[in-house]
Amino acid sequence: MNSTTPEHHAHRSGTPSISADGICLSFPDSTEVLRNISIEIGDHEFVSVVGPSGCGKSTLLRVLSGLQKPTSGQLNTPSNDVGFVFQDPTLLPWRTALRNVETLLELRGVNATDRRELAFNALSSVGLADSANKYPRQLSGGMKMRVSLARSLVTQPKLFLFDEPFAAVDEFAREQLNDDLLALFASAKFSAVFVTHSISEAVYLSQRVIIMSARPASIAHIIEIPFDYPRSPEIRYQPDFAKCCGTIARHLRQLQNI
Amino acid sequence: MLWNNRSASQTAAEYMKSIIRRYFGPGVVLIVFLAGWYALAYGLENNFSPASGTPMIIPPPHRLFEDIYGITRTKILIAFWISLKTSLVGLTLATSIGLVLGIVMAQARWLERALWPYLIALQVTPIIAIVPLMIKLVGSNFAARVLVTVIISIFPIISNTLFGLHSTPKNMHDLFTLQRSGPLARLLKLQLPAASPAIFGGLRISAGLAVIGAIVGDFFFAKGDPGLGKLITQFFLNSQAGPMFVTALAATLLGLMLFILFGLLNKRIVGRWYEGAISQ
Ligand SMILES: Nc1ncnc2c1ncn2[C@@H]1O[C@H](COP(=O)(O)OP(=O)(O)OP(=O)(O)O)[C@@H](O)[C@H]1O
Ligand SMILES: [Mg+2]
Repeated sequence: MNSTTPEHHAHRSGTPSISADGICLSFPDSTEVLRNISIEIGDHEFVSVVGPSGCGKSTLLRVLSGLQKPTSGQLNTPSNDVGFVFQDPTLLPWRTALRNVETLLELRGVNATDRRELAFNALSSVGLADSANKYPRQLSGGMKMRVSLARSLVTQPKLFLFDEPFAAVDEFAREQLNDDLLALFASAKFSAVFVTHSISEAVYLSQRVIIMSARPASIAHIIEIPFDYPRSPEIRYQPDFAKCCGTIARHLRQLQNI
Repeated sequence: MLWNNRSASQTAAEYMKSIIRRYFGPGVVLIVFLAGWYALAYGLENNFSPASGTPMIIPPPHRLFEDIYGITRTKILIAFWISLKTSLVGLTLATSIGLVLGIVMAQARWLERALWPYLIALQVTPIIAIVPLMIKLVGSNFAARVLVTVIISIFPIISNTLFGLHSTPKNMHDLFTLQRSGPLARLLKLQLPAASPAIFGGLRISAGLAVIGAIVGDFFFAKGDPGLGKLITQFFLNSQAGPMFVTALAATLLGLMLFILFGLLNKRIVGRWYEGAISQ
């Protein structure tokens, strides 16, 4: 494990799935939120982002997805192939789980039979085949999050952006969802940027953890995580795992004490 | 109902309790209401004709229906049917026009700002002020009565449609933006479904108003078959207090019918998924 300076942000393999160079963003009310952010995320790489509350993590994801235009800077993304999993499930309450998963395909003009089949497979892959005809109000928080995951999954995005997707579920469900996510990551070959408040979640899921400074956010540290995939839940109790968590926690404390 | 695991008598007792809880409040109000009615009917001076004993101003409840037979009954039934027709035609028009206006106004702030003052003005203008104009333009007929109904009932539909369309959560919009959805897909697949509870709420209020509109229209535009409003006037002029009250009651019934109809419709269409309170 080593902690690199922000200037070394080499990606792992092949062409970068997404690259951002010198991204700056200020809102019209002149709050400066992002300052000179450069990242490259490789094909099939999993990167987590942690940072002080309110520093601009969600805003960074919105910029990477194209929902928010940066004030300055270069951005290269796989234009139509971004999946965004929001902090809350954002399911359409008038649609059943299955129809929710179909939504994005429907908007892309996929025909009814195909999209039903794809949606059902995606729902099955998150373990919700038997809840296909339930409405969101009939699902638990964790189940809704799975539906939301399936909805993004079904479009087979090259790049997945996650904004604290599991923040609202309990510890046990969260660990289960983390394992599900890693299984999907192994089979579906996407790149991921995962914002979280949980240090252990960041370490467990990703190859690199980006630590952001308080607002205006810049990249303060990048921590490489040395574990190979597939990862077993047991690695959470290994000394190296604790060391990674400790390093990140120390950096975050320092950032908050400035 | 589950009968196993519990003794039947226990379940029956609970069932009775739930019935009592449900009907106790309305029952008390009904009794107070009837008591007040009797007090009025027998307390008022000169309420009963000295010669025949028939009620002149307000009949006591048990004597309401004593003159309702033959031609009087037929008149009331026909008037009920005609007012029902006027309110339904008016409500259908108000709903269509209201939805379109709400949708149009939701497309741009400047449109909303431009139209809003005139809608408020239409809402508060006393109908009587535009009666001569309407007689000149459309005549004193069914069309005029429908127009009054539309004017009186359209506002809740416009305002609720507009409010509903505006209240779609931002991150649902983001979801559609990420798919590069056009305004039409957004309207049909996101905004209108999200607005439907609000729209149905407006529709229910408008249904009641449409009945008021149909009856008010009768007072001003008298050509053609008489609806409930015109019939009330006739009974009033003939001092037929009993039939007059029954006709008014028929109007209440009509309003209640439409209100319940749209409540049921709402429950069927929106109730399956909507988490907010849907009262009957
Ligand atoms: N539309 C906006 N206009 C002005 N300021 C904004 C806007 N959106 C966000 N901000 C500000 O930008 C900053 C970063 O917000 P953001 O939501 O990206 O933080 P975050 O790191 O995701 O926070 P959290 O960890 O609490 O989710 C906040 O201080 C917020 O007040
Ligand atoms: Mg956030």
